[in-house]
Amino acid sequence: MSYLPGNELEVKEYQPRFRLLYLIMGITFGVFFIRLWYLQVLQGEELRAFSEQNSIKESKIPAPRGIIYDRNGEVLVENLPGFQVTLSPQYVGNLTETAEALGAALNMSPQQIEGIVQRSRRVNGPFRAVRIKENLSREEIFNIEILKQDYTGIDIKETVLRSYPLRENGAQFFGYVSEISKRQLPRLNERYADRNIRFQQGDIIGTTGLEEVYDLDLRGKDGISVSQVDAHGREAIGDPMGLLGSMGGVTPATPGQNIVLTIDKDIQEAAWQAFQSLGRIGGAVAMKANGEILAWVSAPSFDPNEFATGIAPDLWRKLINDPDKPLRNKPIQDHNAPGSTFKPLIALAALAEGAISPNTIVSCPGALRFGSRTYHDHLRGGHGNLNVMQAIERSSNVFFYKMGIALGIDPMFRYCDQLGIGRRTGIELPRERTGLMPSSAWKKANIGEEWQPGENLSVAIGQGFVLTNPLQLAVAYNAIGTEGKVVRPFVVKRVLGPDNKVLREFEPEVLRDLNSPEAQLKIKPEHYRAVKEGLRRVVNGEAGTARASKLKYIEMAGKTGTSQVMGFSADQIYASCEARPKHQRHHGWFIGYAPADKPEIAFGVLAEHACHGSSGAAPIAKAMVAAYVAKYRPEWLERDVHKEARERAPRPSEANADANTAPTQLPEGPIEGE
Amino acid sequence: MLGVGIQGAQLEERGFFRKLDWNFILPLLVLQVIGIINLYSATHGFGSDSTDRLFISQLFWLLKGWIVFLIVTLIDYQFFIRLAYVIYGLNLLALIAVIFVGKVALGAQRWLDLGFFAYQPSESMKLCIILVLARHLSQRSFADGMGIKDLLLPLGAVIGVPFLITAEQPDLGTAMMLLIIGSSILFFVKIRRSILVALAVLGIFSATGAWFFGLRDYQKHRIYTFLDPNQDPRGKGYNSIQSRIAVGSGQVFGKGFRKGTQSQLEFLPERHTDFIYSVLSEEFGFVGSMFTLSIFGLLFFTMMRIAQHARDKAGAIITVGVMAALFWHMLINVGMVIGLLPIVGVPLPLLSYGGSNMLTTMAALGMVSSVSYRKYLF
Repeated sequence: MSYLPGNELEVKEYQPRFRLLYLIMGITFGVFFIRLWYLQVLQGEELRAFSEQNSIKESKIPAPRGIIYDRNGEVLVENLPGFQVTLSPQYVGNLTETAEALGAALNMSPQQIEGIVQRSRRVNGPFRAVRIKENLSREEIFNIEILKQDYTGIDIKETVLRSYPLRENGAQFFGYVSEISKRQLPRLNERYADRNIRFQQGDIIGTTGLEEVYDLDLRGKDGISVSQVDAHGREAIGDPMGLLGSMGGVTPATPGQNIVLTIDKDIQEAAWQAFQSLGRIGGAVAMKANGEILAWVSAPSFDPNEFATGIAPDLWRKLINDPDKPLRNKPIQDHNAPGSTFKPLIALAALAEGAISPNTIVSCPGALRFGSRTYHDHLRGGHGNLNVMQAIERSSNVFFYKMGIALGIDPMFRYCDQLGIGRRTGIELPRERTGLMPSSAWKKANIGEEWQPGENLSVAIGQGFVLTNPLQLAVAYNAIGTEGKVVRPFVVKRVLGPDNKVLREFEPEVLRDLNSPEAQLKIKPEHYRAVKEGLRRVVNGEAGTARASKLKYIEMAGKTGTSQVMGFSADQIYASCEARPKHQRHHGWFIGYAPADKPEIAFGVLAEHACHGSSGAAPIAKAMVAAYVAKYRPEWLERDVHKEARERAPRPSEANADANTAPTQLPEGPIEGE
Repeated sequence: MLGVGIQGAQLEERGFFRKLDWNFILPLLVLQVIGIINLYSATHGFGSDSTDRLFISQLFWLLKGWIVFLIVTLIDYQFFIRLAYVIYGLNLLALIAVIFVGKVALGAQRWLDLGFFAYQPSESMKLCIILVLARHLSQRSFADGMGIKDLLLPLGAVIGVPFLITAEQPDLGTAMMLLIIGSSILFFVKIRRSILVALAVLGIFSATGAWFFGLRDYQKHRIYTFLDPNQDPRGKGYNSIQSRIAVGSGQVFGKGFRKGTQSQLEFLPERHTDFIYSVLSEEFGFVGSMFTLSIFGLLFFTMMRIAQHARDKAGAIITVGVMAALFWHMLINVGMVIGLLPIVGVPLPLLSYGGSNMLTTMAALGMVSSVSYRKYLF
């Protein structure tokens, strides 16, 4: 090789510096040589033995989730210890042989076991232990302990299984837990990044209902156990190499926080029993007048215990394809036309806006012509002359057609909107649907058409665009019963830390006071009283539509209703509902509260495809009220409120109504009786 | 081959392949072959017979790396020196752009998504700093060492600005690398002893300041863990212990190709990138580890020769700069694997998996090759 010598002169300035660089290099490689010599030659034999026979392995100790209690400390959701068998693919000598032996011990086919292992290898990689079976019986554990002598890679691990002792009862409400899938993992970790929570695949997470909403409270912190295992995955005792140091041992799991609900287990059971014994489907809620939910049922239902161990695909398919929608939380996720249960709200609006007074008598024939159409009553002959209380008691359609005409849509909207129709109630449960209370502005914006006067008649009897759910209606009726308090329904009373110390406590909350100036409504106390009297008579009056559900010891107040599932036409009204195929039958409603004068408990019941509110839904409400009285007002059980009422002087409003005065003509509207 | 004499000196026009410095290229090739063998082992566990995607893509990165290497070799490095400030300026803009439009990975913004390629401007900044320093320093003479005024521009601006931006991303690892590489060049060119002492004191102070004001929690945590690995037994401490076991259990001759239990089981994290050297040590033992280190030594030795015989100062500084970058990466990575240094995410050049790193390394080495190529006038 030949260099061009002249140019080296320029670099010559640096020549002494290169000696320094050689020195630094020399020192570095010298240090590395010594260190590698120390590790690989001097310590090599020990470390080789360690790596071949012992390795440090971490395993997760799952944290038990918090327990969910009812308002009196009865357990609603808990954890059960269980055992599962796992297979660690990297330690398995011969998969086919191991699968055969395991299959015999677990009563599974070897192909099934191999399939599980192969699927897990594809999804989770070869190093994750594969769960073969959960919830082992004592006998299975015994069999596997014997197998472990001859086959490597098999492990029995303790697990904590979520357990729902109420089973189907309230399953949509409590929700269920499931394992985090690989697909969910990045999204979850991103969502919780700022909370310093990192999930791992296979962690348990609340998927719906309360388990989902309170997941952060209910989930504890998993513990870790660091131990040495040999090349076959068997745990070694102690720390023979002294390598573990303070790493060894166990970081215990921190259990999740317990939660106390407003639910009462007995009322919950009574509600579910009522659904079951009547063979009803639908949804029901009961809440205290301050918003504390006492019972929450959605039927049909599913067993959330099935989800705890990973639900079988065919069971899942069955659930999502069931036309009765067992996975849906019906009290807030189904919405339907409220039908006649809407009438008390319209009555309140009509009274407050001065369309009628509590004593106004309105002529209610069997049908009403409005524009080019005839609007029918459910009673062909009509009800004769009625005041507002009688109209509610008998559920006269024509009375409320006239109210709808007199009020118009926007005043109806204002009252119903303030009462909470078409608004979320604010309950903590996930995926609550809003429902709909139409207004002329809404129709213009969403359908692009002007409001038609005929639609006022439909809205006034809870048909047309109106959509609502049992919870919204129960809150609205509760507001009428308590004379103006729209409360926020809630289900969690307290979150408890370790040693049951109260970490958070939730107080009842009045969302809107209808009597306050902000509400801009003109409801006076006598208006509430008139509507409440009507609701009392529905159950307790001679002609009340729900008189069959009368209780001796308490006056319930409420209103029945039906909601047409299929198209509504005059000829179908009189056709027998029961004669139709099940999924074309009407839904029955019963909404109300008790006691009638000073409500303590409000309820909303939707009995889907039950044809009538009176026979379909009211008995469920009755069962919930009876359970409430039996538990919280046992002294009332001896009373006979109806006898007491008869002994008292006739009520002033009743006296007026009975004085069968001539009907007052309503001020406006092209009303034509038939 | 045609021999032509000029000015009486015995000079020959050489062909491209004869002009290439094979003393330099051979160690490179050997290191990359070792890397490929190890990557195959690290990505192909027991019982996996299909060829791993990572392995295939690394082969393609190698090919692209060599194309870049040869192209850069053919370009006169003076061309890069002339354009040094422009390239540096553009790279600085890209670094700033990352702050606004960069992709967030592992909690830090480091990448620009160029559609076909996730580009990390802080990586190529290493090369830009080397070029600008080569241009700046080669025009001056510091026989007595650099004084404060001489250091102001190179240390304060050329190294300081990208250092601060990168540290803000926050990517303290790469930022420290920029500082170390730049400082190594300045140290090589010679700094006055009094200044070195002053800088050492300043360094201690600013490190203290950074501890209290500049560092993120996870960065502090990393330093804590190094000082006391048992504080974080499940995190970095675990990796450190597992890596030590892997290296040591290799003994003198190793466990054999694809037979390293530590690497093949799940005990070693990131075994195809940051911990590739522990796979090598476990499977090929003391002999394999020392052999690989010797090849690195040989590579540095040839680079030093290239610098000593460079056509001009700029060529020498480029070569020393690239060597410093390679050397520090190797030192930190190997030091971490054998338990001498804390666990930081620094790859082992030429051996670790990673396309972006392979391309910048090969471009930098191409520049050294270009310096070597042009020690011949013709």
